[in-house]
Amino acid sequence: MTDNRITVDALTLGYGKQTVLNALSLPIARGKVTVLAGPNGCGKSTLLRAIRRLHRPASGRILLEEIDIAKLGHKDMARQIGLLTQSPSAPEDMTVEELVRLGRYPHQTLLQPWSAEDGRAIDKAMAGTGVAHLRERALGSLSGGQLQRVWIAMVLAQESDIICLDEPVNHLDMAHQIDCLNLVSQLNAEFGRTVVLVLHDLNLAARHADRLVFIKDGRVEAAGTPETLMHEDMIRNVFGVHSKVITDPVHGRPMCIPIGTAPWRKMVPVSDT
Amino acid sequence: MSTLSLARTDEGLSKAARYAILTGVLALAMAMSLMLGYRQYTPLDVWNAFTAFDGSETAVVIVNLRLPRAIIAPLTGASLGIAGVVIQTLARNRIASPDTLGLNAGASLTVVVASFVFGISSLAGLSSAAALGALLTSLIVFGIATSAGGLSPLRIVLVGVTIAGLGHAIVEVILTSNEAELEQLLFWLSGSFMDRPISLALNGLPFVLTGAAIAVALARALDALHADDSTAASLGVPIVLVRGASFVAISILTGTAVAMAGPVSFVGLVVPHAARKIVGLRHTHQIAAAALVGAIYTTLADVLARFVIYPTEAPVGALTAVGGGVVLLALLRRRAA
Repeated sequence: MTDNRITVDALTLGYGKQTVLNALSLPIARGKVTVLAGPNGCGKSTLLRAIRRLHRPASGRILLEEIDIAKLGHKDMARQIGLLTQSPSAPEDMTVEELVRLGRYPHQTLLQPWSAEDGRAIDKAMAGTGVAHLRERALGSLSGGQLQRVWIAMVLAQESDIICLDEPVNHLDMAHQIDCLNLVSQLNAEFGRTVVLVLHDLNLAARHADRLVFIKDGRVEAAGTPETLMHEDMIRNVFGVHSKVITDPVHGRPMCIPIGTAPWRKMVPVSDT
Repeated sequence: MSTLSLARTDEGLSKAARYAILTGVLALAMAMSLMLGYRQYTPLDVWNAFTAFDGSETAVVIVNLRLPRAIIAPLTGASLGIAGVVIQTLARNRIASPDTLGLNAGASLTVVVASFVFGISSLAGLSSAAALGALLTSLIVFGIATSAGGLSPLRIVLVGVTIAGLGHAIVEVILTSNEAELEQLLFWLSGSFMDRPISLALNGLPFVLTGAAIAVALARALDALHADDSTAASLGVPIVLVRGASFVAISILTGTAVAMAGPVSFVGLVVPHAARKIVGLRHTHQIAAAALVGAIYTTLADVLARFVIYPTEAPVGALTAVGGGVVLLALLRRRAA
């Protein structure tokens, strides 16, 4: 058994003729929080979806432990990886409990449609995300922050040991961003789940990542701890942003203060002073 | 207001109590179907007709005329109700139904073609034709609606309504060129439970049960399809397989209903809404409740059809269409589609 829970091996994948991921290779460590970051359109979401086999690779492969995901069954795969996509949808009149129950799908069979274990898992997932009191509420009546926590509860109810979240805090206010990412860190710390996040907020990424992966043009530009990766040259190279990196006085993690876009982007008509 | 109306709670009656009430109402509706009509009979008349058949006019009417429709009506309603539930989830559109997706029209067309062009008159032949028509239509409609990228809940209904219009037009052309048999088919095409032999129900039953069984087997996968395709796939749902099996279930259920009663309009549109209100969104419950509500709806509509233009009978399809039309407009007004 290796230390890598997921191994992406020379993965090439595209939509139509456009190549999104270009021979990308990336080991993802077991029991760690890995954050994928990069500019818009760099392929980070596509990579996350490919890991969950929502896209068929043109070439290359993805291994869970040593097994090629192409060989795994639908439910087997879902018991190993839970994925929350960027903008999931469900009917407005669906209740919170009805949605969270969906997470148990890969654990159920025609002959055993519901077990006590399923009930325990959804209770635990709702308690962990603080939505237990919303159990009978319709999704359409929830606030954005509540709704996001309900979706996360659904993924937790899946009880997969890999959890992938695509921009989980995108539409949340500051308090909910903190709650949500703390919850993810806690899941990782307490239960040793392997977590893969796509985050575009670099400072949130630096604070929560054990391992940061910068993706650019469908390739891994750099991977390592936030401390080794977050420096001004690297940020200019990956994001095209001129910045200053300081140490976050509270968490001791690197923190990026963007100053302006790099001059070669020619997006702002100012001289570089 | 919207918060309140969206918040569905399980306060009050348990699900078991709700099913018991629905079953009771269905039994009552079927009893009414036996007793009420051109002539009215007492419960005792009905009891005697079954326990001590004496060949009297009363007994003959009850056993030979009223009984078949008291069975065919609920069977058709249950069938269309379940089909409606599966279609609405599959299309992710609450105004999708065998009518709005053109399946009724497709089934009617194949029945008319089978009857006039191929001279098929056996019930088994016409039933198969109806199911085949429903299946082909669902494949065409879903195929066109998904051809430009993902499945669009809006496009699927637009395509369905267009296909339905085409189907009806072709049916009318065939009918006008075959005036001799027009009257008989015209009545069938408006949907009715009148003058149908009980063998129709007995032959239809295994098909309805098969369709219902497939739907129940798919229930949890359909639950997951409440969410978007990516989420459903990441939960481990084999989406292509589930869609395919759903088409088969929908086609069997719609086709059998059309074969038994003609296209009884809008039942599959209205019933799932009531079912969800009563038992929530999980498909095992939605399917069970839709079967009961559908059966009640068509049975009551069939009873009412005997009185709206008494002593003449109105086609029941016209009544369910009126009910369905009102509900559809109310839904559109509330933006539920």
